[in-house]
Amino acid sequence: MDEIQNPKSLINRDYEQIPLVSFDEWIESPERHSRLGVGIIIEPKDDIYLIKDQLEFIELIALDFSNFDDGRGYTQAYFLSKRWQYGGEIIGINAHLDQLQFMIRSGVTSYQLLDSYQGSNEEDYSKGFSMCYQAAANNHGLNLQY
Amino acid sequence: MYKYSEKDKQFLVERVDQFEKQLNRYLSGELDEDKFRSLRLRNGLYMELHAHMLRIAIPYGILSSNQLRALADVADKYDRGFGHFTTRQNIQFNWIQLPEIANLLRDLTEAGLHAIQTSGKATRNITADPLSGLTEGEIEDARPYCELIRRWFNLHPEFSWLPGKFKIAINGAKLDETALRIHDLGLRLVKNKKGELGFSVYVGGGLGAAAMVAPETASFVPIEDILSYLESAMRIYNLKGRRDHQKKLRIKFLVRELGAEEFSRLVDEDWQQTKNDPDLKLNLKELESLQEDFALPIKPINLDGFKDKVDFNYSIWKKNNVRNHKTPGFSIVNISLTKLGSAPGDATSEQMRILAKLADQYSSSEIRTTKRQTMVFPFVRKDQVFDLWKSLEENDLASPHEGTLAQIVACPGRDYCDLAKAVSIPIATRVQERFNDMNKLLDIGDLKINISGCENSCAHHHIADIGLLGMQKKGEEYYQITLAGETLHETNIGKKLGPSVSSETIVDAVESIVNVYIDQRQNEEKFTDVFKRIGIEPFKEKVYG
Repeated sequence: MDEIQNPKSLINRDYEQIPLVSFDEWIESPERHSRLGVGIIIEPKDDIYLIKDQLEFIELIALDFSNFDDGRGYTQAYFLSKRWQYGGEIIGINAHLDQLQFMIRSGVTSYQLLDSYQGSNEEDYSKGFSMCYQAAANNHGLNLQY
Repeated sequence: MYKYSEKDKQFLVERVDQFEKQLNRYLSGELDEDKFRSLRLRNGLYMELHAHMLRIAIPYGILSSNQLRALADVADKYDRGFGHFTTRQNIQFNWIQLPEIANLLRDLTEAGLHAIQTSGKATRNITADPLSGLTEGEIEDARPYCELIRRWFNLHPEFSWLPGKFKIAINGAKLDETALRIHDLGLRLVKNKKGELGFSVYVGGGLGAAAMVAPETASFVPIEDILSYLESAMRIYNLKGRRDHQKKLRIKFLVRELGAEEFSRLVDEDWQQTKNDPDLKLNLKELESLQEDFALPIKPINLDGFKDKVDFNYSIWKKNNVRNHKTPGFSIVNISLTKLGSAPGDATSEQMRILAKLADQYSSSEIRTTKRQTMVFPFVRKDQVFDLWKSLEENDLASPHEGTLAQIVACPGRDYCDLAKAVSIPIATRVQERFNDMNKLLDIGDLKINISGCENSCAHHHIADIGLLGMQKKGEEYYQITLAGETLHETNIGKKLGPSVSSETIVDAVESIVNVYIDQRQNEEKFTDVFKRIGIEPFKEKVYG
């Protein structure tokens, strides 16, 4: 079994260290946290609709993909990326190698694999297939066929 | 006949390559059991009682003769010379060795066959009426829609890790051969008052321990908007499905708990946000191209004056196995694989090759499979039906059981399946032995018996006239009986007769039920009509009295 430990902070695309709070902590006091410039860790059980109107105040969003069989993170990524056009980074944390292609096409902008996948050939799994059969949140670089 | 393009085949090869890497990681201990389970199921692979079982999709139930030959080759090369045609337009091989899986799948790619999403918590093989395009009064052939929807949800990034499996059926015909309202999601092609084509949508049906008939969640979704509607339904399920409860994973539990009205409202609310997204519109150009690919390969022929041969055995077979075709001059021929002592749905590689050859000769190289585990030749000239029958008879394939009680549907049961609580095939054989008299079978008429070895209900026992469900009681095999399930004209789940019956007495019970039916029926009444008229009590009295 993978040992899961959520990160306390993440480095964003500008190489800044962004502290992270849990979804519940954010919901409890969004104004205070938005002033602090934090990111949120969202677990599959969290009701993403609750932050829909606060997205512009959130530095980055980390979606927790630790549970291999729980697919709610893909819908959360879709809402953030495609439906609500969240401008910040959507980072898939505790990610599994075999699910990278699904995460990326659902709108996750970067990912952190679980430690157990260290040394694996990520490209084998993140690139996905030479074509896909549907439009999704992210169709970049894919040969669409539908 | 529709065939996969080279690009489609390349996709299949890439999928096999990916699965082979995952398999190798599992075999080397790099990938743990739980994750591999999740991944192998999405490639149709089960760990069964004695070996590995692989489920190959037969999309919308259609096979070309060459595809059937490819399956025969797999049966010989990787299995023990036979395959099992299922009730959901798949074929299963039960004796597969794990290290050979990738080579097997690779062999099938050239024929355009695959095992993608034939299991696991994702959209399964999409089923259609096996008689699509062949019968009078059809609103429209459902198969091009099946194919477009299959493509769309093929490794869909958002919906490949749902709370539970997700089965879709589409029907374009007047009668419902697909049993769409017992599916997680059923689509019925309809026309609105303006004559525009769309779908009625039913969500939350299912069999199993809590059998449910799906309620309608939308009465009319225009065809071009169906993908966005389906996405919205799956999105609500993905977010709100009961992942917390192993026995409530299917969408039927969510629909039941929320109520059909609230579920429909949530889906509609989401759909309003996406229905105008041009990315999600059904590709009508591609639809048109598929409609050409699926067009019937025959033209009406004038057979005025044709007189069919007279032969006693042929007449019985023809009465049971041959149906009218909408195209003048043609017939639809059902080929029952059911014989006394053989497992329902099983076909040997030799039988598959014979059927492939006969399909080339008599049926434009096309074969279809049905939920009653029979094979259909869809394009047989009326003046060649006798010759086909002769060839079938020479090869021991002219069983006249189609449409009779002896055409029993059964899952592999405890003889093969790890999940089963009781045997299915031996019970089917015993029932067939009890009714092994063609005069009696013809007298009884079209009466459907389905036998499932456990609550997973793979043999669809809930929707049969007589359904048997295997269970264990103090280490002994028992069978619960349900009566008068149906889907063809309306959808009704079979009613429980009473306490389960032991393996020793189950065939007596079936005979008693059949006798009540024969005694009570008036004129040409069907079993379900008799049941509706007289109720369950007379059957109870006879079985338990």
